[in-house]
Amino acid sequence: MTPPFRGLRARLVVAFALVTMLGAGAAAWAGAASASEALVESNQRQLTRDFTDRIASVAPTLSYPPDQATLDRLRAAVGADTAVSFEDLLSADGDAALVTDELRAAVREDGRLASQRITAEGRPLLLIGAPVVITEPDGTRRPSGIEVYAVRDLTEVEARIDDLTLSAIGTASLALPLAAAVALLAAGSVLRPVRKLRDTARRLADGDLGARSAAAGADELAQLTVTVNEMAASVQSSMTAMRRMQADAKRFAADVSHELRTPLTTLTAVAEVLEDAADRMEDDAAESARLAVTEIHRLVRLVEDLMEVSRFDAGAVRPRLEDLDAADAVRDTLRARGWLDRVALAAPPGVALRADRRRLDVVVANLVGNALRHGGPPVRVRVAAEGAAVLIEVSDGGPGLPEQVLPHVFERFYKADGARARTPGSGLGLAIALANARLHGGDLTAANTADGARFTLRLPADPEGT
Amino acid sequence: MRRILIAALALLLAGCGVADSGVSDEGRAPTGVAPGTTLYFVDEDGGLRATLRDTGRLGTITEALTLLLTGPGDSDLRTEIAPVAFTKVEVTLDGRVIELRVPLAAEEVTPLGADQIVCTALAAHVQSGGSAEATVRLLFTIGAPGSDAPRTCPLIG
Repeated sequence: MTPPFRGLRARLVVAFALVTMLGAGAAAWAGAASASEALVESNQRQLTRDFTDRIASVAPTLSYPPDQATLDRLRAAVGADTAVSFEDLLSADGDAALVTDELRAAVREDGRLASQRITAEGRPLLLIGAPVVITEPDGTRRPSGIEVYAVRDLTEVEARIDDLTLSAIGTASLALPLAAAVALLAAGSVLRPVRKLRDTARRLADGDLGARSAAAGADELAQLTVTVNEMAASVQSSMTAMRRMQADAKRFAADVSHELRTPLTTLTAVAEVLEDAADRMEDDAAESARLAVTEIHRLVRLVEDLMEVSRFDAGAVRPRLEDLDAADAVRDTLRARGWLDRVALAAPPGVALRADRRRLDVVVANLVGNALRHGGPPVRVRVAAEGAAVLIEVSDGGPGLPEQVLPHVFERFYKADGARARTPGSGLGLAIALANARLHGGDLTAANTADGARFTLRLPADPEGT
Repeated sequence: MRRILIAALALLLAGCGVADSGVSDEGRAPTGVAPGTTLYFVDEDGGLRATLRDTGRLGTITEALTLLLTGPGDSDLRTEIAPVAFTKVEVTLDGRVIELRVPLAAEEVTPLGADQIVCTALAAHVQSGGSAEATVRLLFTIGAPGSDAPRTCPLIG
């Protein structure tokens, strides 16, 4: 399976959740930020109004010009952390020293109420400053020289803002499970067709060319499904056509072989008569007759091999298995061909083999015949048991097989060189030998040794056993 | 991905807490101090005249009216309000209307005397930060027709 967070589903869910969280987070942040701002503003307004109200309520009772006691009274009326100054007089307590020069300058210059937020000693503070003005009965205002500054703590406001932010984060994170659920649903709707498509592709790969997926909707996945279906249909029709052509070709070869059998039998009989008669012919005619007889024998071999090959192609071959002694079987083959004195046989008795006697004979005869014909002496045949398999090795002392020929020796009608074209072989011998080996569940390989070619036939001791 | 997350978190945290700010203007400065109380008396020409009674502070409307009812003292000004033994004036502020319950009958005050009361009350009101567009209603112990209509001071506003 795919590792975690690499699968399409996990990636979809993570991306979806992330986008949702970012959106919810941004919205919550914007909300919290504007709420915080409003909170700070209203708090600031309330504090400054309280400040002016306190001054205004006590101002008419203050003597002017004020003395130290008057300033103290004003300061007490405004509250803690307040500084009141008039010319050289100053009445201050608490944190009033935190008031910035910036605020003092603004108050002095504009003659109006002013405020500033600062952070001092880790606390958020609001600084408020104002001159106290004298208003004439006609409404004109002039500075009195009295200035009042106050420091107000905003820690409580900050705590409320922090609460606000935390609750905003909490609200935003509530969107997470919802987003994950929606993402899972979306992923499911995307992945279901993908999974169906994958199953179809797997069935196609397993050889079920009739497998199709139903294409629903008109999205890219549906288009992909349609394309896959079209591809499968095209592969299926090609395969059908190819099988039909293959079957046709096999049937043709089988028919031809079959049709040729009767005339060939006749031809063989005629050839024997001709061979007998050749001795009594004149030299030229005898030569021609012998040539015709040789070619008739080749033709018969070729047609027999073709029939064998076409039977293999048609899958119509069943081995007739019987219990054999491998050494005896090989020796019988050599003796039947009269090769016993030309071949060095190393075959310990008692190597049990279960195989089709006739087919084993064909294979061994072909290998040994090739070695005798194309290789050089000495030709050696070795029979050995190797585990659950029986090895029959045929090696010769000839020049070996050229490197470029090795991969092709088992192909039909493959000729290593032009000279072989005139040899009596059909060009199908090794192909038939390999087909026979495989029929037994074994194998046939060709290789070059230090001093020649070596063909190794490897057969399971008991093809029906495990 | 990690960088985006950190940026988002930083942005989120920027919304927290109370940010520092520059100096911002918060409106008109408080007022209310004065070296004395402004009273209105009548001069020889029969016109209203503002005088500063050196009380050392502005005082309330009630206090100003008490001083007014007490009289001009030994100055060359006179008052057109009949002398009374009880000088306490009840003041009610209702929005922009100042209601004065004076211990006088309507006939004890001439129109100029009424202006004296209205102007003195308005001056104290304006000087302590009140609106110059406020009106004054005089409630006499014994009223006259139309005597409780809203009045303004000819010298103020």
